[in-house]
Amino acid sequence: MTVAVTNRSLDGAKPVPEAGMELLLWILVWSELIVFGVLLGAFLLLEWLDPVALAALRETLDLPLAGMATVVLVSSGFFAARAAFGRQPRGNLLAAALGGFIFCALKIAAFTHELPALAAMEGRLGELYMLIVGFHFAHVLFVSGLLLLVAFRPTPRHVAGVATIWHLIDLVWLLILPVVYLG
Amino acid sequence: MRFPPVLPLPAVLASLFVATGLSLVAASVLPSGLRGPAIAALSLTKAMLIVLGFMRLRRESPVLAGALIAYATVVCLLAGARIALAGLS
Repeated sequence: MTVAVTNRSLDGAKPVPEAGMELLLWILVWSELIVFGVLLGAFLLLEWLDPVALAALRETLDLPLAGMATVVLVSSGFFAARAAFGRQPRGNLLAAALGGFIFCALKIAAFTHELPALAAMEGRLGELYMLIVGFHFAHVLFVSGLLLLVAFRPTPRHVAGVATIWHLIDLVWLLILPVVYLG
Repeated sequence: MRFPPVLPLPAVLASLFVATGLSLVAASVLPSGLRGPAIAALSLTKAMLIVLGFMRLRRESPVLAGALIAYATVVCLLAGARIALAGLS
């Protein structure tokens, strides 16, 4: 009787690691979205309150470079999606990671001429711009490294997880673009 | 295990390129009253293409896909309103 109860108890308590990982992944995704949402909301508010600083910021930003970075990032998302749909995961993850690193190189090129002008700017808008774009840059760099790691030994679960995070980064950039660059 | 995408991935990518190009053109040439709605619509289109075209969420969790699109809608509408109203002040 005791043995039977123990067995039933063990069966009943069997962990479901896939579901647990997925829940953690979505907690991570939504916490990131909330953080970026707050930052973008604050940026919109400051843009509204300080149009002079906004005009000064717009003059320093390089719109064609931001457009090129967008094209590179969504192309990288295309390769991550191909990997997640089971098509040559290793090659597609490597291509996605390469896209991430090219995006970072383009942002560094933009920062080199934006930073001196931003340092001379008064007000908080320039600092908030650097916080948003720098935080996103750090995400791209880190997850590009993760893409390389997963590409080394791709399992369906890891590929799906890293591709989800990569698409989140794509999505955040596509929301940064209208708030920060296109206004 | 292979999961066929709901939308063809090359078509999603091509649509993203077109929407990005149109956003840049809209930002450069349109007056602010038109620029706001145009940029909001194009940005929301791009966000929906990412969620529905690249992610597998639409089939695996329609609620999460809807929540992501709702989030993007709020941000795009706020950005569009800010751009459009800037021209009035």
